[in-house]
Amino acid sequence: MNKRTKPDKKKLPTNTMRQPAKVVIRKLPTGVRGLDDILGGGIPEFSLNIIAGTPGCGKTTLAHQIIFANATEQRPALYFTVLGEPSMKMLRYQQQYSFFDEAKLGKAIRFINLSDAALARDLNAVFDEITKQVTAINPGIVVVDSFRTVVRKAIGGESELEMQSFIQRLAQFLTSWEATTFLVGEYVPEEIRDNPLFTIADGLFWLSQLVERNSVVRKLQIIKSRGHDSVPGLHTVRISDDGMQAFSRTLGYVNKKKANSAQGRRLSIGIPELDIMMGGGLVEGDSLLVAGPSGTGKSALATQFIAAGLRQGEPGVMAIFEERPPGYLDRADNFGLNLKTSVQKGMLEILYLRPLDLSVDETMQEILNAIEKIGAKRLVIDSLVGFEMALAPGFRTDFRESLYRMIGALTGAGVTILSTVEVEDTFTALSFSHYTISFLTDDIIRMRYVEIDGQLRKVIVVIKMRGGNHSKDIREYVITDEGVVVIHPRQSDYTKLSTGLPERIGQREEAAPEPKAAT
Amino acid sequence: MRNFAKCLIALEASGAKPSTGSTVAAFPIPEKLRPQLTTLMGNAGFRALFSRALALAKMEVPWLRAIQVNDEGVLQGWEELHSQPGPDMFLEGRVVLAAQLLGLLVAFIGEKLTVRLVMEVWPKLSLKDLNLHEGE
Repeated sequence: MNKRTKPDKKKLPTNTMRQPAKVVIRKLPTGVRGLDDILGGGIPEFSLNIIAGTPGCGKTTLAHQIIFANATEQRPALYFTVLGEPSMKMLRYQQQYSFFDEAKLGKAIRFINLSDAALARDLNAVFDEITKQVTAINPGIVVVDSFRTVVRKAIGGESELEMQSFIQRLAQFLTSWEATTFLVGEYVPEEIRDNPLFTIADGLFWLSQLVERNSVVRKLQIIKSRGHDSVPGLHTVRISDDGMQAFSRTLGYVNKKKANSAQGRRLSIGIPELDIMMGGGLVEGDSLLVAGPSGTGKSALATQFIAAGLRQGEPGVMAIFEERPPGYLDRADNFGLNLKTSVQKGMLEILYLRPLDLSVDETMQEILNAIEKIGAKRLVIDSLVGFEMALAPGFRTDFRESLYRMIGALTGAGVTILSTVEVEDTFTALSFSHYTISFLTDDIIRMRYVEIDGQLRKVIVVIKMRGGNHSKDIREYVITDEGVVVIHPRQSDYTKLSTGLPERIGQREEAAPEPKAAT
Repeated sequence: MRNFAKCLIALEASGAKPSTGSTVAAFPIPEKLRPQLTTLMGNAGFRALFSRALALAKMEVPWLRAIQVNDEGVLQGWEELHSQPGPDMFLEGRVVLAAQLLGLLVAFIGEKLTVRLVMEVWPKLSLKDLNLHEGE
């Protein structure tokens, strides 16, 4: 045994008998960013795992990443290659990844070819070779790539029972020798039910490539994880120069500690009159949806929200999809909000995301990374429509669900979110969003155009504040060189403002906020 | 690769008994690399790689044309040689064959891994002596 937990006698009361402790299973890091979170901490030591999937899914890359993350000279990794990818080619390609550390080859990581034994169609010869090497080298990790090739080739001369016996013997031997084992193979989902290998295995990693129109996305599912919890479902994985990266469906926020934000603290949105309308400001940790048609000032309002936070020393992240950062910053300048300095100081991160072939999880991970990097307290997503459009068509079906997960995770961690959404004004109804996502927002502000006295003016109303009471007034506002400015309550009374075609009740009490053109 | 090969041959000669005959032991570089490479790529893999190295070497050293790689990955066919090559020609054959084998390894897995693999067989090898880019 490598590590034994010794009872701490000092802590035991003298008159009580110590209860036998249950085994503590150490978990090995995978070396794959995001995967340990999915696995609930890592791979259980001494477990027998299968890495399965169709060709090109990244099975070998995953196995390599695991061995490079764990192998040491004291507890090396043995990588048995069989009739699949030749070792030379494997080394040729795998050394391109940044995790490939050639200093580990030879002593910490040893590649051994089993082709000769497999070609002899003799499972006993394969078993003998593996046991010989494992006994001699005492590895901490053993990989057989591809195990399916071993079995397929060897079974030509063996019965089904002998094959099962071989798998059983191998599993028992490797576990007894305290090796964490990975059997890599090309399998199809239909085999899970009938193949005894999947019954014996403690862990089953299933890699796949899903095609939707012109987009392809790699997915990982932990179908089996004996003795510990893992995050269920299909997780997006990406293979880059750094190897594999996994994006948990929970976005890594399952075990994150909830933020200790002051209970119900109100944050200024940067527009004093709007703060009053909202009952004192936006509740910290809320998700606010700002809906309105094009040109009503949603982005301006979002900029003011971020700037108000920066003035209070609260870092912020703006994920923008429809406008490039320089244009965004220039417009903030025009409103007298100097965001460029905050960007330079690392208080503000502006993400311009046009992912095209990225999945929604990867895009959200970018946002989460930025939030963690600067410790952001405020997040702007401008806009949800742009966000969705930036995704490849195949990923748009997951958009609402993923957004729900991300907003839930972030607000739970104390980040206050303002999302904008473009809605088309109709002159019969007041819609909030065609996304039906209002269920995931705590608060909704609606901006819209109304026709008054031959002018297309703008009004704003707080539709919903989950955190408490709010003004029900429909207030007129203008966009000036200070941004969105809500006009002092008007004395002229109108009805049917929400339709966009109001009717004045009584006398006009004041002039238009922005003068009409001279006739 | 010639420098690399010469360096290994010199290193091998300094620690081995003098050998003048046209025997397997006269080609110690591939022979010493064989277990290492067979472990890595299997017997068939080594045989394929070594055969390729020999084929390339034959273009430069005509007397090697009588030599083949057998099923075990060992050189054979010495009896086919009509006349024994002289010491200089023999040395040239050793250098060229070793250089071609090393060159193939470098082409496939790169210098770093090749040197690493070679140094497992010849731990006393000094990187300074190799001058990998000279005499290619």
